[in-house]
Amino acid sequence: MASISAQPYDYELPEDLNQLALVIIDMQRDFLEPGGFGEALGNDVTPLRSIVPALQQLLETFRSLQLPIIHTVEGHRPDLSDCPPSKQKRIRGALKIGDMTPMGRLFILGEPGNDIIPELKPLPGETVISKPGKGAFYKTDLDNILRSLNITHLLITGVTTEVCVQTTMREANDRGYECLMVEDATESYFPQFKKLSLEMVRAQGGIVGWTAPTANILQALQTLTAPAISA
Amino acid sequence: MKTISALPYEYDLPNDTENLALLIIGMQRDLIEPGGFGAILGNDVTPVQEIIPTVKQVLESFRALNLPVIYIVEGHQPDLSDCPISKQNRVKGDLNIGDVGPLGRVLVLGEPGTEIISDLEPLPGELVISKPGKGAFFGSDLEDVLQTRGISHLIVTGITTEVGVQTTMREANDRGYECLLIEDATSSYFPEFKQICLEMIRAQGGIVGWTATAEQVIHGLNQWKQSQVLA
Repeated sequence: MASISAQPYDYELPEDLNQLALVIIDMQRDFLEPGGFGEALGNDVTPLRSIVPALQQLLETFRSLQLPIIHTVEGHRPDLSDCPPSKQKRIRGALKIGDMTPMGRLFILGEPGNDIIPELKPLPGETVISKPGKGAFYKTDLDNILRSLNITHLLITGVTTEVCVQTTMREANDRGYECLMVEDATESYFPQFKKLSLEMVRAQGGIVGWTAPTANILQALQTLTAPAISA
Repeated sequence: MKTISALPYEYDLPNDTENLALLIIGMQRDLIEPGGFGAILGNDVTPVQEIIPTVKQVLESFRALNLPVIYIVEGHQPDLSDCPISKQNRVKGDLNIGDVGPLGRVLVLGEPGTEIISDLEPLPGELVISKPGKGAFFGSDLEDVLQTRGISHLIVTGITTEVGVQTTMREANDRGYECLLIEDATSSYFPEFKQICLEMIRAQGGIVGWTATAEQVIHGLNQWKQSQVLA
């Protein structure tokens, strides 16, 4: 059986590669650009950009192989009816969710801050899931979409590792999806949180799933699909 | 307003004592005693036993103040119909979920292994909610119970910190619950994972919630209850 070289052991790919999706979490201007929600929470947002090249590589590979791609975006309705008061109160800075900023209303769906960064802009036909929380399964139709497309395996990427990325991966794992977090395609405002999140995921025999670098994934996919391309 | 002294800042208690509940997660024989599921996953389970006296202290304090207590147990139906294949595949030992071990059928509801340890045995009327995953909200009626009872604030304890506990706390946080994790009433098979989880939870202004010691919580609760009686 075809597999990706990974930790804590090889990640077995599904028989039909269409059952494998690339999940790109929250690569939106809000988290990556100055003046957005990430900065409103007191973070230096610049380190997150380091994963953009790896994500571009994965995205291009999935597009060229016509494999499923799912983008997620965290944001709220204009009237904030889907934003728990607890989430608003937790922001200690001057800017709150819904306030006007240079990137539009902070953390509101459809505003410029909520756009996925241009380098990773979804193509028409690629699914974009908006979510009100950190976990991409909470109050979204992600689970329905994955089940109707018969997707069983997820490559998890995006920001930030210990918040939205691991929360989504833990939700997916409870639901029976086989998940692999791509080590150099996820990033945190806190390097130590990223490092330990990767270790937690693959501890105890892969209690939440697997981790591997982008190169290992590209290599496995190229090996698998090369005969088809040359034929 | 009454508060508990906590990190990253004080935790506001609700106005009504009925809005606050104690969650005790995973304090079951399978995860704490030799021969159970925790040991089958390759862990030395003895370190997590250290929190039993502290959890008991917090439990007794909630009981004395007549505050709601909810236990969470991880386990599956006898036919394993609620256990994803991926979860069974991930177990690398000789025994798997559903096999007969020293504590009965591994991780199956109603077997000795899924009983709460005797030191923390639930009293009649205290709720025990079983969950098939790591997060206590997935595939359980926990959210219905909390909403019916008007519970908005959760004091979180139990094991293991980076798996069942943080997953549940992240689910609760997305749902708008105000959560505080008791630092010395949670434990992991990996001390480093516990420590970094506490830091992740209270980072970015308490992005997942608060942390405090059992002593701080008990002190805050006693003051709060007293003020309720006097009012």
